Amino acid sequence: MSIPKKGNDGQVEHIYREKTDRRILRKNPWRDYRLHGTVLILVVIAELIGTINIPITKDVVITIMPLIFTIILGLVFYLAKPITWIKRRQARIAEGAMMLFIGVLIAKLAISSGQSLHLIFDMGPALILQELGHLATILILPLALLLGFKEEAIGMTNSIGREPNVAVVVDKYGFNSPESRGVFAIFIIGSVIGTIFISFLVSFSLSFIPLHPYAYAMASGVGSASMNAAAIGPTLAAFPGMETSIEAFAGFSNLLSFCVGIYIVIFIALPLTEKMYKWLEPKIGREYIVKTEEDDENA
Amino acid sequence: MPDLIDGSENVSVHGILNWIILLFIFSVITVIGNYLGYKHPMTDSLVGMGILSLITLAGVWLERELPLNISSIIYISVFGIVLAYPGMPTSDFVLHYVSQVELLSIVTVFLAYVGIGMGKSWDEFKALGWRAIVITILVIAATYYGAAIVAHIVLVLTGVPAV
Repeated sequence: MSIPKKGNDGQVEHIYREKTDRRILRKNPWRDYRLHGTVLILVVIAELIGTINIPITKDVVITIMPLIFTIILGLVFYLAKPITWIKRRQARIAEGAMMLFIGVLIAKLAISSGQSLHLIFDMGPALILQELGHLATILILPLALLLGFKEEAIGMTNSIGREPNVAVVVDKYGFNSPESRGVFAIFIIGSVIGTIFISFLVSFSLSFIPLHPYAYAMASGVGSASMNAAAIGPTLAAFPGMETSIEAFAGFSNLLSFCVGIYIVIFIALPLTEKMYKWLEPKIGREYIVKTEEDDENA
Repeated sequence: MPDLIDGSENVSVHGILNWIILLFIFSVITVIGNYLGYKHPMTDSLVGMGILSLITLAGVWLERELPLNISSIIYISVFGIVLAYPGMPTSDFVLHYVSQVELLSIVTVFLAYVGIGMGKSWDEFKALGWRAIVITILVIAATYYGAAIVAHIVLVLTGVPAV
C-alpha cells in the first residue's frame, strides 16, 4: 500500500515534509495576511477575466483558463520589483501551505471517483486498459536524459503532467525538488501549448493512421478538459454519425484519466519512472543543464 | 516514523490549529473564486469546502500520527471515495455540497500559491528552457498514442465493430 520513497534508510523520505511541517507548525503561516490577501486578489482578477478562447482555425481553438492567470500572476508578483510585500518569506509560506492544499485537491478528485466508481465496472475492458496506455510517456525518459535533464526527467515523463499529477509529484518529492520543477514545467507548457498541439496531432493522426473510432474517442481523454475538448472536435468530424458514442467514450475516458489516472501514477508510473531513471541515468545521462542548486532552507 | 519537528514534540494542538486556519483561509478564497467563476451559491460551496477540508485534515493528521509509511494523499483518497460512494449514507450529503465546488476553482487558488512559491526557483526553471518544450510535446503525443493503440488493440480483440 505504501508508496516507494526515495532512498532506502527510511529517513530520507520525509525530509521535505519536515521542512514544510516546521513552517506550518511553528510560524503561524496564516498570520501572513499579505500573502493570502494577494492570492485572493489574484484569484478575483483571474476569475473576472474568465476563460478566453482564441480561435486559430475552424477546429483549433486556444483556451486560456483562469488557472493559467493565477500561476503566471503569482510568478509575476514574486519577480516584479515594485511589489515588495511578496518576497522569499511569503514564497516559503506559500510552499508550506500548498503542501496542505494538495489534500483538498485530492479529496475533491476522490469524491468524483467514488461517485462514478460503478461506471468503471460497467464500462468495457478497453476503457480501463487504455488508461495504462498513458504509461507510454515513460518512453520519453531517455530523450529527456539525452537533453541534459536529471531528476527533472522523473517529474516530466511519468505522466502528462496535469493537475492531479502535479499534486502527486509535489506530495512525494517536495516543492523544491528537481522532480517537482520538471512536472511544473510540463504543466505550464502543456497548459499553454497543449490544446493547440493536440488539435494538430489528432487531425494529423486521423488522416494517416487507421485506428478504431472508439480508440480515437478514448484516447482523447488525456486528463485535461481543454485538451479533451480540442481532441474531440476533429474526431467527431472524421466519424460522422457516431457523435453520441464518441462523446460518451471521450468524456468518460477523460474522467477516468483524472480520477483513476492518479492511482496509476502513484502505484505504477512513478515507481517505474524512478527505476528507469536509476538504470538509464548512469548510462546515457548528460551534463546537468541546471548550474546552481540552491538550498535556501538555512538561509 | 522519526519525530517530524526538530525538538521532540509530536504534532501539537497548536499545529493542528494552524492547519485548520490555513484550510479555512483557502476555503474562503476558493468559495469567492467559485462564486465569481461559476455563480455557485456561497453557503453551499463553503459547506463543500468544509467537507473537503475535514477529509484533508484527517488525512494529514493520520499520516503523522500512525506509525505507517503511507502518504496522506492515500488516506484522503480512501476517505473521499468511501464517503462519496453511492450507497453510503453520507453519499447524498457529500455529493450535494462538494459538487458546488468546481475542481477548477480549487486548482485556480492552489496555483496562485504555486506561482508565488515558484518565483523563488525561477532561475532553475529558466534553465529548463526549450528542452522542456520538446519534452512536453513528446509527452502529450506519447499519452495520446499510448492510449489510442492500447484501446485499438483491446477493441479489435474483443470484437467491437467499428460502426
